[in-house]
Amino acid sequence: MARSARTYGLPLPGVTDEEFGGSLIVIEGMDGSGRSTQISLLTEWLESEGFAVQTMGLRRSGLVAKDIDALLAENTITRMTVTLMYATDFYDQLEHRIIPALRSDFVVLADRYFYTLIARAAARGIQRDYLNGLYEMALRPDLTFWLNVRPEAAFEREFRKSHAISYWESGRDMSLSNDLFQSFILYQAKMKKEFEALAEPHGFIAMDGEASVSRVNAELRRRIAAHLGIQRTHYKPSSALASLWR
Amino acid sequence: MKWVCLAPYSPMTATVSTPAAPIELPRGAHELLEPARAYPGALVVVEGIDGSGKSTQLYLLKRWLEIGGYRLHFTEWNSSPLVKSATRRGKQRRLLTPTTFSLLHAADFADRCERQILPLLHGGYLVLADRYIYTAFARDVARGCSPRWLRNLYRFAPVPDITFYFRAPLDVAVNRIMSGRPKLKYYEAGMDLNLSLDRAESFRIFQGRILAQYDEMIESDRFVVMDGTLPVNKLQKQMRQIVKSRIDLSRFAPKKASRVSQ
Repeated sequence: MARSARTYGLPLPGVTDEEFGGSLIVIEGMDGSGRSTQISLLTEWLESEGFAVQTMGLRRSGLVAKDIDALLAENTITRMTVTLMYATDFYDQLEHRIIPALRSDFVVLADRYFYTLIARAAARGIQRDYLNGLYEMALRPDLTFWLNVRPEAAFEREFRKSHAISYWESGRDMSLSNDLFQSFILYQAKMKKEFEALAEPHGFIAMDGEASVSRVNAELRRRIAAHLGIQRTHYKPSSALASLWR
Repeated sequence: MKWVCLAPYSPMTATVSTPAAPIELPRGAHELLEPARAYPGALVVVEGIDGSGKSTQLYLLKRWLEIGGYRLHFTEWNSSPLVKSATRRGKQRRLLTPTTFSLLHAADFADRCERQILPLLHGGYLVLADRYIYTAFARDVARGCSPRWLRNLYRFAPVPDITFYFRAPLDVAVNRIMSGRPKLKYYEAGMDLNLSLDRAESFRIFQGRILAQYDEMIESDRFVVMDGTLPVNKLQKQMRQIVKSRIDLSRFAPKKASRVSQ
């Protein structure tokens, strides 16, 4: 079986390494780490620099995103099924969104990648080597940033934003605690451990997600500019995004 | 690298740190799990290409056991309601690639496995499955998926006690299907593989590839090969004989009323 340098081992059926350029840049971090804010700002900055941008995220595939929503609402759903439905969602986006974009020389910004899916499944007791095998045909990103925040800080940000905490982001399916706050903290601590295990083999660039939006953004721009060969990294958000700039 | 099994039939119990490097899985890796089969139930599986006669034979086996009052459960490939809508949409809109086709079926199987098959095996049932993971191995490899990736994907599946492989020559099987069901569906006919513009011809080529994949697994997965061209009743007689000799059916026999309750 042929091997692929762009993936974690196996090539995707029907896709060869040759033909695509572009850049795949991943931002990982728990809810409340500022991921989405940074993606919005980076998109604007890259477009102003003349780069075409495509985004991806979890549960955004045309194929199964809605079905995953429905499955998560059912309390009979089991972790293997969830794991494999998310894998379907991931590969559908990889094949129908990321690879076509890279073929057209886009910069793909991923609002989380399969690392989160591995961390979630591993935190629920699924073997890591099984999960690594599952994602063996995923593309290796050019850059992966990990926005690190304390669970307490993330909880505060999320609660301020939506006045509620997601059932799944607080790991309530795992019966860690009946207290929602406790459950969130315990679950995110587990997730953090899983991310720490992924950080080195996958070359994560860890960043302080609790620093100000503008500071995190400046550091992201510096790294991305170096990768893409952008000389001037000055950026000020447009009025549409100014409210994000704190 | 040698694959070491940590949990019998389940990747869900152990957490061992491994690097991101891919693992090498030998063919038929789940043979390694066999000694560790840790449930009182038993699993009997039928496999084979469309038109090989497997479903008819499993139905007759099921009737025989039902009439005898045995504790059993019958399950089919591709039947979990949870994943059905996604599969239907993907097929209708032709969104499926070899990889997502395979993953959706694996998700469907995982749902059935975790909610029906495993609990029933642990609860001491005789489980009869019309198609099992070998259907995915044969069909998805024929579509271009990596065998290693597939073997890993289905690692959580319990290993059958008996896998009957109904083998019929390609022409016999294809003619049986074509005479009864003239309208072949897009994915069923393997039209996504661009084998032929003619649906019937594409189906024939695709089934031929699947047949070749099944044949490859006969030894590594210990298939019991059944001659699908034999008369139905003769074949059924063989099948019942093999089940009786390999599985202690008294484990699943109806319980006699105890003295206390009389």
